[in-house]
Amino acid sequence: MKLLFYYLIFPGFIFACVIGLLTVWLDRKVSARVQWRQGPPWYQGFADIGKLLYKEVIIPEEAFGSGFIAAPLFGLASVTLAVTILCVSFFNMSEGFIGDIIVVWYLFAIPAIALIYMGSTSGNPLSSVGVSREIKLLLSYDLPMIIIIVMIASKAGGFSIRAIMDWQRINGSNISNWYGVIAFVVAISCTQAKLGRVPFDLAEAETELGSGILLELSGGVLAAYELSKAIMLFGLPIFLIILFWGKGIIGGVLMYLFIVVLLILIKNTNPRVRIDHAMKYFWGWMSGAAILAGLLAHFGV
Amino acid sequence: MGVLKKAFKKSIWVFHLSTAACNNCDIEVLELLTPRYDVERFGIKLVGSPRHADALLVCGSVNAHAKPRLLEVYRQTPKPCLVVAFGSCGCSSGIFRDSYSIVGPVDKVLREEDPDVKIVYIPGCPPKPEAMIEGIIMGLGAI
Amino acid sequence: MKDLREKLKGKIIDIVQPREKRIYIRVEPKKAPEVIEYLFFKYKCKFCTATGMDIREGIEIIYHLAREDKNMVINVKTLVPYPNLEIKSIGKKIPAFRWVEREINEMLGVTFIGHPDMRRLLLADSFPKGKYPLRKDFKHSDVNDEDYDYERSGI
Repeated sequence: MKLLFYYLIFPGFIFACVIGLLTVWLDRKVSARVQWRQGPPWYQGFADIGKLLYKEVIIPEEAFGSGFIAAPLFGLASVTLAVTILCVSFFNMSEGFIGDIIVVWYLFAIPAIALIYMGSTSGNPLSSVGVSREIKLLLSYDLPMIIIIVMIASKAGGFSIRAIMDWQRINGSNISNWYGVIAFVVAISCTQAKLGRVPFDLAEAETELGSGILLELSGGVLAAYELSKAIMLFGLPIFLIILFWGKGIIGGVLMYLFIVVLLILIKNTNPRVRIDHAMKYFWGWMSGAAILAGLLAHFGV
Repeated sequence: MGVLKKAFKKSIWVFHLSTAACNNCDIEVLELLTPRYDVERFGIKLVGSPRHADALLVCGSVNAHAKPRLLEVYRQTPKPCLVVAFGSCGCSSGIFRDSYSIVGPVDKVLREEDPDVKIVYIPGCPPKPEAMIEGIIMGLGAI
Repeated sequence: MKDLREKLKGKIIDIVQPREKRIYIRVEPKKAPEVIEYLFFKYKCKFCTATGMDIREGIEIIYHLAREDKNMVINVKTLVPYPNLEIKSIGKKIPAFRWVEREINEMLGVTFIGHPDMRRLLLADSFPKGKYPLRKDFKHSDVNDEDYDYERSGI
């Protein structure tokens, strides 16, 4: 019973939806202000989801009907589970389990796989171009992030969120060391790619591919996809706070706003990159920086 | 259902379709997204696929090439949707009315497919941005 | 101009040079391909465009060729008479002429014999056959909505 409450209400589905949609509004408002415009009002995220639930769902003839609708719901369910596991340890509500940081990272990868499945079954050639790009991107940004997670967890002495937070409370945050700063830069790039935002939004390139993978989605299916994106926008900065800052709620809110504004400003000042540039960036520069950070961490700098 | 209908009026996603236009109206649509006449504060944004759209912005008088394609895009848009006939060419074919290649203005073509399609007419060649915003607000009021 | 008059003696009706850089040559429709091939291959002219106009006796086609090193424009005029609008196609040998001959065919109704690829260029495929929009006796009410055949439009 307690688990159901955690999963559905707090800190699970409803809480993550509300905070996630408010973060989406913050994204659009800051982007508008940077361009000297007014932005949308605070309820814009909720209005978008409500509007999508009002429209009909069109399933194209060549698509596999049940897989087409089930995939985004599956992505939504798994990302809610990931956020629940994260926040339960972050807000000190119960004990985690060993290995839960790896579980959380790979639960965050499931929406991307659901996206790939949706794109392949929708029967549109533009979607298949988006699918091939998304697969390559998924393979690229995993490598540096895994190096960083393993480095931080081995320094903290245990692969669980509780262990990492306790270690940082005793020995100082990871970001106050040199290896933490380099690792933070790498982690911000990987987060931007995972959220599917500029400069790495190749898979759902709006003007280039007519929305790519998302071309055939409409109505409630698109609402499930937008909700999973909003929940990821809430969950991934908390993941970064746990890895690099380690404090609880008080400093966490400020750090959360700082990370979100950093992601927004990166989105507004960069163009979209090609897939071979992105792969070279993640497997070359970012992996090299992550290995450098690992060496510095080993020698205690 | 009332809450969802209110939400529908607060966020309209627009798909821009150009049928045999001189492209003047297409350029004017871009003006609405600039800081002076910002329409994003009403929740309006441009999307890249007709499946995501709530409003179809049709520029230009309709050609014989464009007619089957306009009908196909209208069928692919999930209902309920709004159609905006943009510019003099969209409302009434403008100065190209007696040409050999024009099949009819937008409302004549779309009424063959669906007799109760909801159309908002915004005249002008090209329409001023203030007229465009007023037309969109009037259309939202009539849903 | 004198050398042109010598070379093309038997094939043209007349040739005038009203200004320094313009030459007008009038030919019969049967001799038009030979004259143009001579001008294009041997006289080093480049092809600009071709125009067609509906006058009472038939359709007058003017081929505009240019000679860049001397800054000259040469116009070759032919009159294709009613009722049989036929002329031999130059697009068979010179690919540059193919598109403009397709346009003259669909807008004015001139048949080009031997053209390798006679399709519609600017008009929609669903426009009814047999109606030619740029003739003088074409009215807007000649084509009704029912005459359009959208099955041929490729959707």
